[in-house]
Amino acid sequence: MRYPSIFCALLLILLLPLLAAAQNTVCFQCHSGLDGTLAAPTKEWPGSIHAENGISCHDCHGGDATDFALAMSPASGFLGVPGEGEIPAFCGRCHPGVLEDYRASVHGAALGAGGPHCATCHGNHAVRKASLDLINPQDCGRCHDYARAENIRAAMQETDARIVGLQSDLGRLHRIGIATEGMEGQVFSARNSFHRLFHTVDIQTVRQKTTAIQEELEKVRQQVADVEAELSRRKIWGGGAIGLLLLVGCLALVLHRSYLETGSRNTDE
Amino acid sequence: MNMGKRIVDWLDLRLGMRDILEQNLTHYLLPRNINIWYTLGAVLLTLFALQFATGILLLIYYQPNPETAFASVQRIMNDIPYGWLIRSLHAVGANIIVLALLLHMLSVLFMGSYKRPRELTWVSGFIVFNLALALCLTGYLLPWSQLSFWATTVATDTAGAVPVIGDALVRLLRGGPMVGEATLGRFFALHVMGLPLALGLVLAMHLFCVRRAGISQPPFGPTPPPQPPAAFQHQEHPGGIPFFPHYVCKDLAVIAFFLVLLLVGVFFTPGLFIPPTALIPADPFSTPPGIKPEWYFLWAYQTLKIFPSEFLGLAIQGAAMTGLALLPFLDAGPERRPARRPMFVAAFFLGLALFVGISVWGHFS
Amino acid sequence: MEEIPLAPSRRRFFLTGALGGAGALLAVLAGWPVWRFLSPRAGADAAENIAFPRNQVAVGQAHFFNFRGRSAVLLHRTPGEFVAFSAICTHLGCIVQWLPEKGEFLCPCHGGRFSAEGRVVAGPPPQPLDRLPVVIDADQVRIG
Repeated sequence: MRYPSIFCALLLILLLPLLAAAQNTVCFQCHSGLDGTLAAPTKEWPGSIHAENGISCHDCHGGDATDFALAMSPASGFLGVPGEGEIPAFCGRCHPGVLEDYRASVHGAALGAGGPHCATCHGNHAVRKASLDLINPQDCGRCHDYARAENIRAAMQETDARIVGLQSDLGRLHRIGIATEGMEGQVFSARNSFHRLFHTVDIQTVRQKTTAIQEELEKVRQQVADVEAELSRRKIWGGGAIGLLLLVGCLALVLHRSYLETGSRNTDE
Repeated sequence: MNMGKRIVDWLDLRLGMRDILEQNLTHYLLPRNINIWYTLGAVLLTLFALQFATGILLLIYYQPNPETAFASVQRIMNDIPYGWLIRSLHAVGANIIVLALLLHMLSVLFMGSYKRPRELTWVSGFIVFNLALALCLTGYLLPWSQLSFWATTVATDTAGAVPVIGDALVRLLRGGPMVGEATLGRFFALHVMGLPLALGLVLAMHLFCVRRAGISQPPFGPTPPPQPPAAFQHQEHPGGIPFFPHYVCKDLAVIAFFLVLLLVGVFFTPGLFIPPTALIPADPFSTPPGIKPEWYFLWAYQTLKIFPSEFLGLAIQGAAMTGLALLPFLDAGPERRPARRPMFVAAFFLGLALFVGISVWGHFS
Repeated sequence: MEEIPLAPSRRRFFLTGALGGAGALLAVLAGWPVWRFLSPRAGADAAENIAFPRNQVAVGQAHFFNFRGRSAVLLHRTPGEFVAFSAICTHLGCIVQWLPEKGEFLCPCHGGRFSAEGRVVAGPPPQPLDRLPVVIDADQVRIG
């Protein structure tokens, strides 16, 4: 990533209004004044990827976020805290692709029998933007040896690097006014297909589907390369025009001096 | 007999062309000690012409209504061949023009060229300066981005500080209580026709005054300034250098170097005048943080923030601008040499430092 | 500046020539983008084809539509037989109308008449209407 800090700062600037709006729920207002575990979400959620995108308490837990009385009423759709077995369906309401892959995997089969659910690796409120760092010896090693997780991580490394690279390239192009919405959408879609893939925790499936995803990414990479070639071409022509103008300026100056040298009146026409 | 000579002969017979060419070109004499600052007028004429031309080209594809304005600018930047070039020339050019205007004004101030008999030249020039700033302000809204919308909101808000008629003034500027479709309509009409027309007329007056009074003698050297004449007298420079071809070459050189500056901005730093908020369509319900006016308005913006009363801030700015406009009448003594005007020169550098300092403060605050 | 061993007038001639040449080059460099800006080449709709559902046009009726930026007409002559023409009269460019009772096209500008095959029947048009290729594909009629 060439300008990670600038990209993140930009993202934050653009999303701050969303963050501000979401913090105005009655849920947040009430819970931030409570003690212990009841207040914990109000400390964990603000820095999360959900908060950045304006997803607040009621978006997952239901209820009326504008009214203290109805906030936790089942009649207004409040779902409460999901039990361990209910967590995948809870998150799966917005992340159906991941849910499907998880249920078909060995992790999904082990749910309730010591297997992991979404919050095991992602946390419940302090959810960070998904990255390969979620696959690490400390977290995966809690239940089994890290070797098989490491294999899958290695298989995903290259594609992940390409996605991150493309996103930063597109951010840079967008910053100079290129219309990148179409390409950003393609990368985002490929990224989603890619991330849900891990939840199958089956290295064969990962390897198989990686090829198709990389083809998608290659198409976008080609478009980005075309745009960047065009931008370089512009700079070269621009440099040429600037050089020509400098030449004109210098020629004019020398001509001016030449006229000044030969005295005041000059009736050359 | 070559073609050029034949054309001039034909025109000479009917319009006395040779006489006009001699008076304005070859026999139009300029002071021997003329300096490079005197080229800024020609530079400004070139830059204004460029703005006019790129503006007309942009008009072909721009759509002046809130629903499609932003998309039309996107189309110009991405789909129309070389649209990005025309738009960048126009946007960067506006900033270079303000820079050149400030330099031109500073050099006239320093050399005291505004003094009698050139007061009208100064006043008309000052009006041109203000009209150019108004063009920058109205043009800023047209892309209808977040930056456009909210910078215009902040700028038009300041008119509310005027006592009694403040609110009515804001409503007049905006065409309503908030910036919206009505604002875009009137800003578009002003930017495309009203202000260019006014600028053209006042500029014509300014150029007429310049030629009629004659080019001023740069005030450097031991000889004291001549007493201002009791009757009208076009200032001659016998033994001076001919405008054409001598000074025309110098004009050309400085114009070329300013165009280099413009092209460096267009090709190598296009993002300098397009902050991230300029790439988001306007949203009347969401103000992005850190909205600031463009660099040439930062002094006004920061001055308003310094004073606890908005009216006071506005009044101070108004007084400063009025003082500047009426300078020839406030500083009417005949002495033009900077070496002999220590008070003025001190005030000049103090004013300049204040302008730069407050602008920089405005940028970082 | 070092002394150039040329007579001043020769030097100036050379310099002015060079200046003129550079200026001309700049003019071309500036003129080309303006020319392209004003005349963008035909974009996606140059090669666009268009399709209609079969039952959109009844027998003996005509449907006018836009084809590659120009007016065109699709005619359902006999059951299953579709023809398409440019609807631009070949006389002076007005758009023709379809008269189902008479089974012919009429141009309202100068009374030119075209048959259901596009041939000139009466009036000033010099050429028949331009024919457009039609392909019937299941329940769609494709033009182009």
